[in-house]
Amino acid sequence: MNWISRYTVRIFSAVAAAAVLLAVSVLPARSAAALSFVLGGQTVAFTHVSNSGGVTAVGVEDPSLKKLLGATGAVMTWKRGERYVLITTSEPRVISFSVGDRAYEVGALSAQASVAPYLVGDEVYLPLDELLHALSYALRSDGSQMVMQPQLSTLDVRAAGGGTTIVARAGAPLRPRLVEDNAQKVAYEFDGVGTTLAPQRAVNAGGVSSILVSQSGPARSPKTLVTVLLTPGAQHGPPRNDNDRDFAVSFSGAAPAVGSAPTPPPPPPQMITPAPAATAAGSATVTGVDAQQSQDGLAVTIHVTGDAAFQWHRLRDPDNRFWVDIQNAHLATPEQDGTLADPGVSLRVKQIDGQTVRVAITLAGPKQLSVNPATTGLVVSVGTDEDLDAARAGQGTIGSVVATTDAVAPVTPAPADTAGGALGNPDELAPSSYVPTNPKLIVIDPGHGGSDTGASHGGLNEANLTLDMAGRLRAILQARGWQVRMTRTTDVDVYAPNDSAHDELQARVNVGNSAGARMFVSIHVNSFINSGPSGTTTYYSKAGDVPLARFIQAALAASLGTKDDGIVKSHLYVTLHSYMPAVLVETAFLSNPDDFALLDSPSWRQKVAQAIADGIDRYAQQYPVSGSAPQ
Amino acid sequence: MSTIRRSRPKPAPRSTSGPRVFALLVLLAVVAGGTWYVLSRRPATAQYLSVYYTKQSDGTSLAAWRVSTRPAQAGETDAEHLHNTVLYAAVQAVAGPPSDVAAVRFPPGTHVQAVSVTGSTATVDLSKDVAQQVAGTFGENGEFKSLVYTVTGVPGINAVQVTVNGATLETLPGGHIELDQPLHRSDF
Repeated sequence: MNWISRYTVRIFSAVAAAAVLLAVSVLPARSAAALSFVLGGQTVAFTHVSNSGGVTAVGVEDPSLKKLLGATGAVMTWKRGERYVLITTSEPRVISFSVGDRAYEVGALSAQASVAPYLVGDEVYLPLDELLHALSYALRSDGSQMVMQPQLSTLDVRAAGGGTTIVARAGAPLRPRLVEDNAQKVAYEFDGVGTTLAPQRAVNAGGVSSILVSQSGPARSPKTLVTVLLTPGAQHGPPRNDNDRDFAVSFSGAAPAVGSAPTPPPPPPQMITPAPAATAAGSATVTGVDAQQSQDGLAVTIHVTGDAAFQWHRLRDPDNRFWVDIQNAHLATPEQDGTLADPGVSLRVKQIDGQTVRVAITLAGPKQLSVNPATTGLVVSVGTDEDLDAARAGQGTIGSVVATTDAVAPVTPAPADTAGGALGNPDELAPSSYVPTNPKLIVIDPGHGGSDTGASHGGLNEANLTLDMAGRLRAILQARGWQVRMTRTTDVDVYAPNDSAHDELQARVNVGNSAGARMFVSIHVNSFINSGPSGTTTYYSKAGDVPLARFIQAALAASLGTKDDGIVKSHLYVTLHSYMPAVLVETAFLSNPDDFALLDSPSWRQKVAQAIADGIDRYAQQYPVSGSAPQ
Repeated sequence: MSTIRRSRPKPAPRSTSGPRVFALLVLLAVVAGGTWYVLSRRPATAQYLSVYYTKQSDGTSLAAWRVSTRPAQAGETDAEHLHNTVLYAAVQAVAGPPSDVAAVRFPPGTHVQAVSVTGSTATVDLSKDVAQQVAGTFGENGEFKSLVYTVTGVPGINAVQVTVNGATLETLPGGHIELDQPLHRSDF
């Protein structure tokens, strides 16, 4: 039995040694001394710092990390004891880390961190390099200190309607200075940001021939110069600097392009992967490859500057590999070897010889696939559907122009309702369940009023407009023999000044409910944070509201000359709590210039009143007092 | 080796190796059990979530992009994983699609502070920035519709209770949508 004993001892000691090794590797968090960096010209000390296998990680509760996030306009969602750390950038993109998982996500892009985030106590520590990269920052040395330098990390080139729009984004607010503006070129200098973008990029579209990017200045105060070389006769509009973050300039060519090629489908939102300064080997440069997932599948964008030819191949199921070779091209980023979201499996990017860059994609099956040249390079679109008879090879050139439109695939049908059967579902209130005690009475609710002016714009406010339109509606309805009660007849709060929204809205609902009115019509004016949205919408909440909403919206759409945004169901207080059929009419948008002009016109407001009254009358004819059944 | 061992006085192999074998078996059982536990917690296929946004063109029709959700990690309980997935869904919905997409967006600065799950209802706590509406039903309806559709896309969740800075509100100040009860997809 001696051999058993020796065997046991050996195995036991081997297991013990393995256990010790495992313990050492699982407990990597060696607390390191504070690390100082220069951030925004000031020295900031990171005190929640740890080192694991030579990789620096910072704690999410480090006050200096909060400063860094503040500088980038990002917000973090994390609570003590939780393993997910989610950061929303100003772009917006969501950066996602989780304790124990090396995979991290930046928008739709998934990558492997050098170490997985880990806990020290109950604080999550994140690998610093990956975090900075995700925030469009880079570490640069100024000789004595390390500088956290914001990077001009994205330069989107979008072609639309014969013109080109260049959009720049960085890890910090962009303060552009126009340094050159003539017939040949337009140059903007961005103070305080460095760049990892390729130094030259051919566009040859929409008035732009190419874009030059260069960085100068010391690490603490870098400057990045973006020079746009124009084609003869090109013009450009004023730059837009939305929220100091997205800097955009639009260019237009001298004449429309002749004999344009068939337009491939629009590419997805694009992100230029930061590229180190390119050393030109081929005539084209691959500056990055990224993947974007959508409802329709996956789009892999290969960012190429310069002109290049490409050839692609795919193998037959069950070997679902695809690759595309970009010829005479130089890879300006590190080689990639990573995973892809469904319907992809993996992605590899490699310089296979002196003049060819190969992008290889393993697919999750014989998926539909198309290869389309785009302004910024080449887009490989992989569908979720399968295609067993798909083409096995193709070729083309990069350098043509496509129009880009709405970037994310639309979803036409609303998804299936998963909330069915919930108690208190307003749809359970059948139209016939309400019997008005006063079938001749209509309650009109002019939205807002008093301490709550509602939306306001250009000297007009919602409370006054709604009161005006409600008064006009009352006059018409009374002339037609209806009784009308208004929730307010002057510019007042219905419940009390500065009351709660609930008290205020319930007071309005009570007017209708206590009087046993036949209908409740609330009149509002819409508004939004930008001037884009316009039109007329009738909102409702209960199934019993739908017929009234339809008749009123139809009458409005027929006479107002605004965009018909239809009837929309929403969880609105006044329509939800009114016992009778109730609607909330959003007549038009104060925030839209065309709609504003209409709202400002008394004759148009009279048309609104007329249309609502017509809708009410048609509804009343179709749905007599006893309930909902048509006559 | 054997001569040295034999020279020991009265070796009792059975009595010394018995506990060692036992310890080895226990260790092996623990390692095997642990390995099985870790592997069994990894789903075979990746999971995806549709993140909805409401189109600015009409303020009510939805579009979506897909994100992959993280599989459960070793040691992450089912409840914890559901919580984490809901958190991820809510953060994605409030962030919205890339800035060049014409989506109805939450007021600037609005972010998810925390989530919790009770039964099939997820509570999503938003920062007070969400109260900075410019009035108009359009924004409110689009914002909450996209949030509710996204979060109820997480298996096991069918309602969303919105709170603002930890408090339940009847409506936003000067607002239109009732927020003091959970919202369902059927409310939109």
